[in-house]
Amino acid sequence: MNGFRQPSVLPGFGLTLGFATFFLSAVVLLPLAALILKTASMSWADFVRVVLSPRALASYRLSFSTSLLAALINTVFGFIVAWTLVRYEFPGRKILDAMIDMPFALPTAVSGIALTAVFAQNGWIGQYLEPLGIKVAYTWIGVTVALILIGLPFVVRSVQPSLLEVQRDLEDAAETLGATPFYIFRRIIFPTVLPALASGFTLAFARAVGEYGSVIFISGNLPMKTEITPLLIVIKLEEFDYNGAAALGFVMLAMSFVMLLSINLVQAWGRRQLVAAHR
Amino acid sequence: MSITLDQVTKQYQGNPVVNDVSLAVAEGEFFVLLGPSGSGKSTLLRTIAGLTDVDHGRIMLFGRDVTQVSAREREVGFVFQNYALFRHMTVGENIEFALRVRREKSAERVRRRKELLELIGLADMDDRLPTQLSGGQQQRVAVARALAHKPKVLLLDEPFGALDAKIREELRRTIRSVQRELKITTILVTHDQEEAFALGDRLGVMNLGRLLESGRPTELYSRPATRFVATFLGAANLLLRREARSGSDTPIDRTPTPGEQPRREQEVVAMLRPEEAELAPDRDSLATSFLGYGHVEEIQFTGALERLRIRMGTEEAGRNAEARSRAVAPVLIEVTRTQPEQRTFPLAPGQRVAIGTRRIHVLPTPLSSFTVCAETQDAADRLLANHWLAELAARMQTRLTAQIEPGLASPEPSPGDAPAGVAVVAAGPGCAARVRRLLNRGVTPVLCMPEDAEPPGRVVVHFAGQVARRATLAMTASLLRHVPAEAVFLGILPSGSPERTRTAGVRQLLDVRSEAQAGHGLDVRTELRLGDRIEELLRELGSQPGQMLVLGLPDAGSLPDNFEALLTQSPGWPVLLA
Repeated sequence: MNGFRQPSVLPGFGLTLGFATFFLSAVVLLPLAALILKTASMSWADFVRVVLSPRALASYRLSFSTSLLAALINTVFGFIVAWTLVRYEFPGRKILDAMIDMPFALPTAVSGIALTAVFAQNGWIGQYLEPLGIKVAYTWIGVTVALILIGLPFVVRSVQPSLLEVQRDLEDAAETLGATPFYIFRRIIFPTVLPALASGFTLAFARAVGEYGSVIFISGNLPMKTEITPLLIVIKLEEFDYNGAAALGFVMLAMSFVMLLSINLVQAWGRRQLVAAHR
Repeated sequence: MSITLDQVTKQYQGNPVVNDVSLAVAEGEFFVLLGPSGSGKSTLLRTIAGLTDVDHGRIMLFGRDVTQVSAREREVGFVFQNYALFRHMTVGENIEFALRVRREKSAERVRRRKELLELIGLADMDDRLPTQLSGGQQQRVAVARALAHKPKVLLLDEPFGALDAKIREELRRTIRSVQRELKITTILVTHDQEEAFALGDRLGVMNLGRLLESGRPTELYSRPATRFVATFLGAANLLLRREARSGSDTPIDRTPTPGEQPRREQEVVAMLRPEEAELAPDRDSLATSFLGYGHVEEIQFTGALERLRIRMGTEEAGRNAEARSRAVAPVLIEVTRTQPEQRTFPLAPGQRVAIGTRRIHVLPTPLSSFTVCAETQDAADRLLANHWLAELAARMQTRLTAQIEPGLASPEPSPGDAPAGVAVVAAGPGCAARVRRLLNRGVTPVLCMPEDAEPPGRVVVHFAGQVARRATLAMTASLLRHVPAEAVFLGILPSGSPERTRTAGVRQLLDVRSEAQAGHGLDVRTELRLGDRIEELLRELGSQPGQMLVLGLPDAGSLPDNFEALLTQSPGWPVLLA
């Protein structure tokens, strides 16, 4: 243990480690353990019946595919927004910058209702999409839109600092060496912000999987069609089927953990590859 | 010429950062741009590379006008102060970046990469990441990277700025030898004069956005034309001295013949390098010409040299009155002495010494010092309180004093010494009378200043007759070296002049431009107007605030009646009269 000790401004390594462990246990690990215990009280057959029911399977598919799609879209557009905020000086930049955080602060139910109002068949945008045959509200598209809204700040806030770090000099240097703007972006800027972009994607994805409030208003909640897993869990709770809810929760937890872990592993592997390639 | 700049100007928010810079660098030459921070030297370098666009002027590389060409297509190599290496690429990948951009074959890339690594002495570092190298090594890589595409021009922006002294010298040698080997035209920007001397075939000194002087290092060191260059390139004592107006040096210890008037003398700025001063116990034991007596105020041992500060007092200047008037008010003189000099005449603080000068260089500036001339102390104080005047005197590192003459505006001649240097009078009512009195006594130049004058952003230059041309241009050049403003020379022809006269007018303008450029290294823009001289000048000066006028009078020593309008306008502008 002594090997980890390093002089630091915060008192004692032992004290801070103890606090971190306690805090994490009380707030994160204990509730999760309770969830697993609750699930464990079911019989294996019951568990399989609940988590592999067609309705549950449909909800997993919807939850994870829309979350993935929303996170991907956010990665692209969040990067553009962050770029605009960092690179350009324009009137209202500060206000726009502050607005990015609004989805963090807004109760998710409010944003769900607002989105529904806008995208419903007679809403501001919905009425123009309707003649084109595009239905947003009460379809999987609506779910994705809601998830984009709540995930955007994660990408923007992850990428912003690393974009600030890309020195102008690097771009100037590349330009005097003959690189075109696109080449500079591909070979200089993008590799520099890639790690931050990946962690922004991870955060946005994780948040989207667990999102409940904003989705239920716009999705319409048709079983087998537009029902997300968190909603299914709430339905189980309302039926006083606590074990069923816990089982579904456990599955979500496991799947999210596996996905997040694999993203992190891929990222770490990529970094190692990068360094290894240069040896 | 491989690099030619023609009146390059760059402004940021209306302030000129690079102000009318013209420069020619020969093929294979190592040119060093030297200047304090904020002098515009880095901006100028960036405009040559195409990283910053220019507002005015042209840039030519090897005869090709590249003013509108992007940095990508200018084929220059640029080295940044903070190396700007691509951190996610290896040393080798950094170096071959320009070749990869150009889609060179891999065999050629590897060959060139080896060659360049060899050149900078980092042959075994090919696979390292930049973060694994020291600062000096990183900068070497940056130099190699800038040379990969065989540019015709290499531009270095303070490349040693972030390195410590020892590595700096090593890298300096590397860059010099690489430059010699490749015979590549190079411009290096620095604020370190030692570096400039060590590297440059030629130097250019910049201040306040202007290129003040350029020339060989030894030339600039021993014969600078401007105060700034004199004091920026090594240490210099600037002394105010009186000289015969013809320009030949009057021996300072000459006894004046009785009744001789000191009026036909003028004040000049003389430069004395610390190593050109000689110290002796008294005047007779000096081997060189006597400057004055002083007291040792401070002695500093710096290894090879001893650095002394000697305070000269007026009471020490000599016994006769004339010598007193010549000497400057108490000044501190910096002197350096070698070890042998120290041994033959050891000194202690407080000791009285005679100062001799081995070599004095007189700066060709007509603006030596400023003397505010006013009828009352109050009026003088108001002018002295003007922050621009104080700033100007501070920038010129010269004296700003006041001389009270109750009869200044009255026509009767009053006894009293003619003020030294530039006479400053308040603009407004009575100004013309004051100017006439001063001009009558042979005082030039005269500066008429509104008490609340702001620093000018634009200087309008005009002379009303060929007699005043030389003096006007010399004065303008001297002034503009200390004022960050754009300069416009106005040529004015009477309206309705025949075609022939107009052609002559245009030719005259071109002559003025080339004379200013050749004689003073100063770039002025020129404009031709048709109309009444005074009306045109009034219109020009009234068109926007923050202007100033430099005016050459048609007949030295007198002010024509119609010129009065230029001095008495309200709100007025500063007018410098020659």
